[in-house]
Amino acid sequence: MEDVVKLNLAQFSLIYLLLLLVLAIMKKSKINQTRLLVVASARMTVQLVLAGLLLTYIFKNPHPMFTAAYVAVMVFFSIRRVLSRNPGLNSRFKRAVALSIAFCGLSIILFFVGVVVGMDVFNPQYMIPISGMIIGNSMTGVTLGLKTFDESLVAQRPRIEALLNLGVEPKRILLPMVNNALETALLPTLNNMLGMGVISLPGMMTGQILSGTLPMTAILYQIAIMIAITTAACMTVFSSLHFGYRTLCNHRNQILA
Amino acid sequence: MEKSVFTTEKLEFGNFIHYPDMEIPEAPGVFLTGPSGSGKSTLLRLLNGTLSPSSGSIRYQGRDLETWDTLELRREVLLVGQSVFLFDGTIEGNFREFYGYRNLPAPSRERMETFLGICSAPFPLDKDCRTMSGGERQRVYMAIFLSFGPRVLLLDEPTSALDAKNSHGVVKDILAHCAREGIAAIIVSHDNSLVEAFALHRILI
Repeated sequence: MEDVVKLNLAQFSLIYLLLLLVLAIMKKSKINQTRLLVVASARMTVQLVLAGLLLTYIFKNPHPMFTAAYVAVMVFFSIRRVLSRNPGLNSRFKRAVALSIAFCGLSIILFFVGVVVGMDVFNPQYMIPISGMIIGNSMTGVTLGLKTFDESLVAQRPRIEALLNLGVEPKRILLPMVNNALETALLPTLNNMLGMGVISLPGMMTGQILSGTLPMTAILYQIAIMIAITTAACMTVFSSLHFGYRTLCNHRNQILA
Repeated sequence: MEKSVFTTEKLEFGNFIHYPDMEIPEAPGVFLTGPSGSGKSTLLRLLNGTLSPSSGSIRYQGRDLETWDTLELRREVLLVGQSVFLFDGTIEGNFREFYGYRNLPAPSRERMETFLGICSAPFPLDKDCRTMSGGERQRVYMAIFLSFGPRVLLLDEPTSALDAKNSHGVVKDILAHCAREGIAAIIVSHDNSLVEAFALHRILI
């Protein structure tokens, strides 16, 4: 196996030419998102360069504190992102979501790195990328789950009112919506597993193969990370919704939504 | 004069609705009237405990509403709300679903038909609710609720989807049923002709 070809900066910058194609198509289709395209590519470049510099520094000067801080910042930003996408949640619901993301995500990460890989959980080379994948996917799942739940609260208003008036326990009325939101949130991850290896060679595996890892090793990592991602997303969404929806019910059996 | 089923004192909701003190008699035909926005629908929801007042108190059967188990209360003081909800499926299927949610065995087919009859909804039990008109759905919805046998029936705009002819027939039969069974009925309706025809008592809010 050869080591990956180091990209030379002049050659690398040619890739930005591809964006001109996107711009041309947008212009032709009258999509007024050229500003977003420019901002998004610029932001991505800056953020990734900064992350690269930071990771280079951390890898050269490994310290448990750095690893812990990096993971903590990732968790913090993913929580903030989920909550900003769902501004209507009450404060106890928000707390349930935040704790779920942090607790479920971290426990799967620790199990993955510490037990399955058998590495020191403060090793930045393992801890940081794996945390990113697990937390990022959980974040997508929770966002989708909360959105679905919120939409069904609105759409099923008459059903909720009818059953409430009939003297049915609020939790029993809301639980089918919780389960439905969980299912919706999990489907993309599950479908992703179906196509893996046939339709898509996933990013992590591609990266490892490019950098010279044996394909069989890369595949084992990929399988492990997919299962970890699915479990983390499932646990996070389940826990967010289950501890969250209770905050909509009060001691007078009313539904506050 | 009948005894009161509900009495309210200094009742307020959300700091913008202030109710006069009321004594609602236990009778099969008490109509709540008043301009829209005066809080009639909200009052019904305060009476069945799905909303709580911001201040003041409500007594049901002489006992403060706060001391009642809210689920028990709602089963006894049954509110048929303004927005009709039926499950996808047949009329019989709907009876089964609603009774299932209350952990009760479904009523017999005869009983279902009896209540559909009372609510001017004499449709076959295997009729699909998705293909019914708004007015038909409203009558089936009322029939299912009425069949639970409440002590107090709260109706919020029970004829909103019905034409004038149907309206009078439905309300007449429902109130006659309430009178026979000793059920107190409190009705909110914007239809003055209904109030003229059937009100045993009127309360202005």
